[in-house]
Amino acid sequence: MCPASRYTDLESGRISLGCNFACIHCQNWEISQQFAEGTVCGEREIAALIDEARRRGCRNQNWVGGDPIPHIPFWLKVLLWETENTPVFFNTNGFYSTEASSLLRGVVDIYKIDFKYGSDICAEKISGVSGYWKVITRNLKAAKKQGELLIRVLVLPRHLECCLIPIVSFISRELGPETRVNLMDQYSPHWRAAELPELKKRLDPDEWEKAVKIALEAGLRNVIT
Amino acid sequence: MWRLWRPDAVRALEDPKVVSSMPRYIGILKGKLLPKFVISRQVQVEWGSDSSEDELWDIHDASLRKMEKLMRDLDSGRIHPDELGDPPKKSLLHLKARIGESIMRSCRLCERRCGADRLKGELGFCRVGREFRVHSCFDHLGEEPEVVPSFTVYGSRVRPN
Repeated sequence: MCPASRYTDLESGRISLGCNFACIHCQNWEISQQFAEGTVCGEREIAALIDEARRRGCRNQNWVGGDPIPHIPFWLKVLLWETENTPVFFNTNGFYSTEASSLLRGVVDIYKIDFKYGSDICAEKISGVSGYWKVITRNLKAAKKQGELLIRVLVLPRHLECCLIPIVSFISRELGPETRVNLMDQYSPHWRAAELPELKKRLDPDEWEKAVKIALEAGLRNVIT
Repeated sequence: MWRLWRPDAVRALEDPKVVSSMPRYIGILKGKLLPKFVISRQVQVEWGSDSSEDELWDIHDASLRKMEKLMRDLDSGRIHPDELGDPPKKSLLHLKARIGESIMRSCRLCERRCGADRLKGELGFCRVGREFRVHSCFDHLGEEPEVVPSFTVYGSRVRPN
């Protein structure tokens, strides 16, 4: 699941908070409801925290948001100040532009991309984005070329046919069966998920079993379950 | 302490499925290879203060090719990290930061391409403005075994009115 997208429906409609998506099942809405803005931080200050973290044994710097995409310009400045060799783990929903992709090239060591939807209709309905499939598949292919790739797939209830099947088929066919995929069963109906009938409940065990079978039948050989 | 919570994370760097999918990352953790940003910081780049964004991109793309060549040389051992001198005052990483700032004038980092002038204080869909707001950061133990412990920084945004 998207690590920390935050949105709320102040007054009317969806307002994203630090994320370019507005997922109806956002797991981090509670944080957003506190209306915390966070603290304005200097790049040098964050760089020092990251250096310290590396020295105490953290393996990487994990850029999250919301989504880290709108924060890229800040991150590039943070890196100018870092002194330790801390790999960059870019923890994103993958809905970024080709310009952003060029800036990330030569910077990001691991692209961790959520592959959420197999259809633009589902992406629009659940996360409020249009043109999802074209963008996500373009960026996944580029990420594989320009870095190392880890894909997260959160299995959504009743989205096996429309989403999971196209997702795992694409990964197997276009990115290779050896692609490392974290298939996740922990969907939980946070936030306004109950507004969509199929997202009211958690995944049932039969559906999870079927999801694993679908992933393996697509040929994937490096699946974390 | 994390070793007790996540014994799988201790073993992960030897797991063939991890090794095959992220060999470079493991090389960095073992101190044998450099993160990409460190290599980008070594590539000297010159640009004029009046260069247009298109010109900056041309310089960027040419420098990126140099960076990738340097990375291949370092990774294969043709060049030893000790042979790299002090990082230049203006590097590919500086240029990336410069272009990143320029994009904020008409933001198109995500595919919403909303065009907000963030440097003037406009806020787009994400409400991330001109300053880096951080919600929290901590040593994350809840990620994939090869990833943890992971120093996770949650970027934030401007509060809606």
